[in-house]
Amino acid sequence: MVAIFKREFFQLFKGVKSILIVLLFLTTSYYAAKFSELLKGTMQLTAEEAEDIQLLGIMLLIWIFGQLFVTSLSHDSINREIQERTMRFLVTKTTRSSILFGKFFGIWMFWFVCMFLSFGVIGFISHHLNFFLFFQALALLTLQISFVLFVSVLIPKPSVTMFFGILAGLIFPILGGWLVLTSNPFISWLKYITPYFYVDDEDYKFLVVFLLAGLLVYLANLVFKRREC
Amino acid sequence: MTAIKTQKMTKVYNGVTVVNGIDLKVEKGEIFGFLGRNGAGKSTFINMLTGIAKPTSGSFTLLGGDSKTTDVKRRTGVMPDYSTFYGSTTALEHLRFFASLSGKPASKSVCMEALEAVGLAEHANKKAGKFSFGMKKKLGVAQAIIHDPDLLFLDEPTSGMDAESGIQIQRLIRSLHEKGKTIFLTSHNLDEVEKLCTRIAIMKEGRIVKIGTMDELRAFYRTNIIVKIRHSPIPVSEAPKLHQWLESKGADVQFSDERTIITVDGDKKIAEITRAFTACKTDIYRVEVEEPTLEEIFLD
Repeated sequence: MVAIFKREFFQLFKGVKSILIVLLFLTTSYYAAKFSELLKGTMQLTAEEAEDIQLLGIMLLIWIFGQLFVTSLSHDSINREIQERTMRFLVTKTTRSSILFGKFFGIWMFWFVCMFLSFGVIGFISHHLNFFLFFQALALLTLQISFVLFVSVLIPKPSVTMFFGILAGLIFPILGGWLVLTSNPFISWLKYITPYFYVDDEDYKFLVVFLLAGLLVYLANLVFKRREC
Repeated sequence: MTAIKTQKMTKVYNGVTVVNGIDLKVEKGEIFGFLGRNGAGKSTFINMLTGIAKPTSGSFTLLGGDSKTTDVKRRTGVMPDYSTFYGSTTALEHLRFFASLSGKPASKSVCMEALEAVGLAEHANKKAGKFSFGMKKKLGVAQAIIHDPDLLFLDEPTSGMDAESGIQIQRLIRSLHEKGKTIFLTSHNLDEVEKLCTRIAIMKEGRIVKIGTMDELRAFYRTNIIVKIRHSPIPVSEAPKLHQWLESKGADVQFSDERTIITVDGDKKIAEITRAFTACKTDIYRVEVEEPTLEEIFLD
């Protein structure tokens, strides 16, 4: 598992797409922190919200575009290797669970580092950090990574996972936000299966998102064990 | 000790039975050759044994244990049939990664030894994306042996290689065998299988139709042995008697002054014939016995 984890983690840093995404995160964090005082003047905010205004940029980036970013980097993490048959070398050397978990933790660590650096930049500029929001954002990213891995195991063609990932990346934030805000009793119960409900408030509900992510990784593992390589 | 044991291994794809109830035992230290036409089910059978595909029914053990366990995987080396490598990764990086994955991290010198053994040392730092088909095959063999496994599966190890590289890989297989490794290989090169393998199985339509050592397979098919004898001229006084006797012992007898060809049904008759020539005051210069080749057995 460690070998797969290391390879996945370092490979993610080698791609142009990943470097651009890391730069986007860092730039957003830098400018959001730098110009946060300007935003305070233009928006009506509570004292708590005003305190974390410098995190607004990075949080919006993850809420709205997180799924798209994770999809663009890792949508073919499993199925590309099956299609190109490099997976045959892996499954003959280690267990399928080790491959899946190695890949999951490799991708997760990439985003952890990315988030850590982004929050670090914000903390350095604003001299204030909200670890609670850091973990909330991390929970959301963890679920997005699990979802992408699950889809990559389930769908054999990388082109289809890319398409499906973009579609999910566009629909999920809109649908999730709407479900959280709607008062329609017939559909509002669906909010419990979207992560946005659990990260909407500053409480420990966000831990449920980690459970949902765990469930998806578990299901991905079950499917992967049955998959022909 | 049994290295591979399968019981009623079956694989069905969309209602088509590709591997049909194979029972097989391969002992430790054997070089076991698996022959069959394209689509006979050889690769599917290897894929099931190595965890690439799941059997529809049946069971098997490798090295006396469950093939899905990490311990057995670490003691098994696999060169699957046509596979690509990571295009932007060098041969050396591939071996270091695969060695770590197998739980036996390899130093640069160990990786270079493996590349040397397959004739790829000078391309150690070349990216696999730039490799030819033959070079990829060599890297395939190198990655299978990098963690010094006890059991090796080689699916068409020399196909697509030039003759010199093929011989180098054959030598490597022999040296691994001398070190006590068990090797299970498939090949389309009948000559290679005949030279290398201690035991051979021939697969047809998902079943093993023939299995045994080369001698056992030959003995099974040796119902008609063609014996060609070069001899001194047979004395005129002895010729009719000898001709009559030969016709009673075999079939398709062809006589000429210094050459006789006869078809017999057993090794003992060859000894009787040579004694008869000597008794008839005829010197025997050469006896050639045409045995069935693996090609003939395979094509039967």
